[in-house]
Amino acid sequence: MLTQIAYALPFLAQGFALTLWVSLLVVVLSLIAGVLLGVGLVYGPAPLRWAVRIFSDTIRGIPILVLMFFVYYGLPAIGLHLPSFWAAVLALTLFKTAQVVEYLRGAVGSIPKGQSEAAMAIGLTFRQRLAYVIFPQAFRRFLPPWINGVTDAVKGSALVSLLGITDLMQAINQVIGRTYEAMPLYILGAVIYFAVNYALSLASRRLERRFSFIRE
Amino acid sequence: MSTGSNDTPALLDVSDVSKSFGAVQVLRSVSLQVGRGEVVAVIGPSGSGKTTLLRCVNFLESYDSGSIRIDGKEVGFRETGTRQRRGERDLAAMRAETGMVFQSFNLFPHLTAAGNIMLGLRKVRGKSEAEARSIAEHWLGRVGLAHKADSLPAELSGGQQQRVGIARAVAMEPKILLLDEITSALDPELVGEVLAVVRSLAEDGMTMLMVTHEMAFARDASSRIVFMADGCVNAVGPPKEILAAETTNERLRTFLARFRASHF
Repeated sequence: MLTQIAYALPFLAQGFALTLWVSLLVVVLSLIAGVLLGVGLVYGPAPLRWAVRIFSDTIRGIPILVLMFFVYYGLPAIGLHLPSFWAAVLALTLFKTAQVVEYLRGAVGSIPKGQSEAAMAIGLTFRQRLAYVIFPQAFRRFLPPWINGVTDAVKGSALVSLLGITDLMQAINQVIGRTYEAMPLYILGAVIYFAVNYALSLASRRLERRFSFIRE
Repeated sequence: MSTGSNDTPALLDVSDVSKSFGAVQVLRSVSLQVGRGEVVAVIGPSGSGKTTLLRCVNFLESYDSGSIRIDGKEVGFRETGTRQRRGERDLAAMRAETGMVFQSFNLFPHLTAAGNIMLGLRKVRGKSEAEARSIAEHWLGRVGLAHKADSLPAELSGGQQQRVGIARAVAMEPKILLLDEITSALDPELVGEVLAVVRSLAEDGMTMLMVTHEMAFARDASSRIVFMADGCVNAVGPPKEILAAETTNERLRTFLARFRASHF
């Protein structure tokens, strides 16, 4: 079994790098988009709130796989041809964005109204209120579900293999296609995914501890 | 000291302000002037619009008609006569001219006592870290909490938190200080320390508009008392006059009688 793994590793390295790259893109893009839309959902004018609400509910109601096929095979119908890599990243990002919107809404919504009012009363502008009063407090609530979401993103990135992209999952399948030795390779794959996600949750636990000094 | 007459322009001029929450009219053409250095207490039964009035003064609430001016400048609306709400920056700058102390303190829990005071000084007044720190320490000293500068709000008693709340408001050097039932959430034994701070600010000539249920304090510390009922200013006058047991104002007498029955 070890020899099979040793044989597979060089092939998997490139796939693994792509898995990390897709995950990183999805996590960063969805964080930016999700926070912006989430702020729109909480503080925006009614039409914006409805738009974000509809976006979030719709996206979260669709399986990621369907979303991904829709973006890759469906969008060309309206003239939007995306390479498979970017179609996969877009689909995963849309899905993750909808989740980040909800994490942000929950976290910001848990901050008492008096905090905004006190910040207004000393003359802080909207952006300053978010930056110095609301977000620092909301961060602690936002972090645990978000880190969970990051590990989901790493796991979910395996779906990009279905668009023929050679990520870790696809690389594993390719090696199995040559060796017909499925079990050792799938175990190896599971271990790699687990190692990444376990490292992430360790990091998150440390972060959470750092911010636990904030009491209500 | 102005008594609200029109010989000198009032620092705060509330004129004919009305406001409704849906079908409920909470303010009915309220007018009220507060002169520079004056301390005005607003009393009245709950639901009479006291707190709403106070929140309109720094535009935490908007109002439907009328005008509120501080030092001659319209607080929430542009001076174009079209009742166009001020932009975000403009509004923030106007709000910085008023200080507010809240019933529930509303200290920022992630910042220390000094940090709470420094935030506005740094970000709104543009002061340096060191300058803001020294102003914060000065005011913490004034409210008797010099030794608590680096404590988080959760580590302070209610009375201490409220004193930090007052220091946070006055450190911005506001033209007028708004106090919204600032002792209502405190244990009785902590009320005195907070009122003592307010009294010393009054002695310094700080202009204050305070909603309060502390009748004895209103009597001792204020130059005028405003009695509100049903969203209207029902009576205004010097404390002695308003709190006199033999007042002929039926509404006021009922309020005071009920108040005395429950508080003495």
